[in-house]
Amino acid sequence: MSTENRNPTDAVKSLGLVKIYTGKENVHALRNVNLSIRKGELYTLLGQNGAGKTTFLRIISTQLLPTEGEAHVLGHNVVTEADEIRKHIAVVPQDIQTYGNFTPWEYCYYFSLLRGMSKAQTKQSAENALKAVELWELKDRTCAQLSGGEKKRAIIATALSSDADVLLLDEPTSGLDAVARRKVWAVLREMIEQGKTILLTTHIMEEAEMLSDRIAILDKGNLIAEGMLEEIRGLTKEKFRVVMEGDTQQNELAGKDYRVVKFGNKQIVYVEDDNEALELVRDALKKGLKAEAARVTLEDVFVELVGGEQD
Amino acid sequence: MLILVGLVSSIPLFFLLIFGGPIQQGLIGAMIATIGFIGLVAAIQDLTWDRYIKIREMIVAMPVRPVSYAIGIALAPLLISTPGLVFFVAIALWQGFLPVSSLGWTVAALILCWAATSSIGLIISTYLQKASVYTLNSMSNILGLGLIFMPPVYYPEEFLGSFNWVASVFPTSNAASLIRVYSGQYSLPQEIVLARWLILLGIVFASTIVVSIKTKWRET
Repeated sequence: MSTENRNPTDAVKSLGLVKIYTGKENVHALRNVNLSIRKGELYTLLGQNGAGKTTFLRIISTQLLPTEGEAHVLGHNVVTEADEIRKHIAVVPQDIQTYGNFTPWEYCYYFSLLRGMSKAQTKQSAENALKAVELWELKDRTCAQLSGGEKKRAIIATALSSDADVLLLDEPTSGLDAVARRKVWAVLREMIEQGKTILLTTHIMEEAEMLSDRIAILDKGNLIAEGMLEEIRGLTKEKFRVVMEGDTQQNELAGKDYRVVKFGNKQIVYVEDDNEALELVRDALKKGLKAEAARVTLEDVFVELVGGEQD
Repeated sequence: MLILVGLVSSIPLFFLLIFGGPIQQGLIGAMIATIGFIGLVAAIQDLTWDRYIKIREMIVAMPVRPVSYAIGIALAPLLISTPGLVFFVAIALWQGFLPVSSLGWTVAALILCWAATSSIGLIISTYLQKASVYTLNSMSNILGLGLIFMPPVYYPEEFLGSFNWVASVFPTSNAASLIRVYSGQYSLPQEIVLARWLILLGIVFASTIVVSIKTKWRET
């Protein structure tokens, strides 16, 4: 391994990472993925289903071997130094379920003991983690008695109680209601304040917008974009969106070649600058339509980049 | 499930008590049934369940040795089933079916039976990683019952006549026969007894080797 791959400021780094699942048909899950996650940042991987997010996370978390390329966590190679990496990471797998007869306290306590923490340390970290995810009051209920969101928070607390330096979270808030999701967000930002590094995968664009220090977009195994939210937003030529509601069939866009997406009686028109956006809003209001202009969202950019509306 | 195992193990005893019969044979069968069924079923079902609910993904990414995990999977249900086992052994001792002098050999045979069935369970769940949790659960139940009720576990191997060697093939019936020999209920030549121990040890050893070669802690 070359020494330039061991940048002390990188928590996670991949170089030419390739993963091919062999079978009747080979599936290229990752194609030459190069990315680096700095220590102390919350880095979000976005992508459609099957884009390679989980594969990347599983390689980084030493659960899966890459086909080609290198990946390092805190300077340790994921293939040859997995044991060292495992001391410093905690994982929340996608769609994880719980043992029904375990309580949140038992999850945090026993999983921390498994990591080799002392009983005193374990008790303290379990308490801190359960309080952080607001499950302290429910710590002695079995998971069978908890709601879906509470179970998810119990698993997140298990990861937090490990006191790991790098948290690898695969869609940790999927299936949670908005209130529960925001509680988890607050906890994750708190972890970042404490100096942890978090790699997060998500389908929820708002989550990526609200939480991330940097964002990467994977599409069919390729890393197609990486940067801070503003940098990602700048990747499409249209910077504003106008949402119109009403009998949009009658709405004429003055023959201009705007990118337009229709959903029933609503349509989103993408424009390059704010003057155009305001002009469209004025025209629409004159025609009796509801209209409002705003900056493009991460979701707009994501859909455009992955070619989701080519048709 | 573990409570059910104890109850299932006791069913033949009820029949023997109600209809009459060699209760000492039934008690040895119950001991072997408890430990053999536990070994096989726990190894398959617990491993499969951990994979199904994705807890294993968390564990693989932790500083946990694969061998510690496998031993834990096999040992935990053994500890939980210990009260049932102790109950059957205590009755056998109390009734004089099991001399105190044979206790050490009995425990050794039970431990090897548990190790062998657990290793066989681990092999099955390792080879059938892609099978559904339902398929593996059904398979483990059928195999468990097959290993307990088909070979001479609840009945003495002399019932099989010249085919009594079949008892040595299965770790459950092999262990049962060895306990019967040491408790004075059955006699076998010394060299056959030695061979039976070696077969039991061989099954444990071979299964453990296969598991350690085949098992991949990390997916490829």
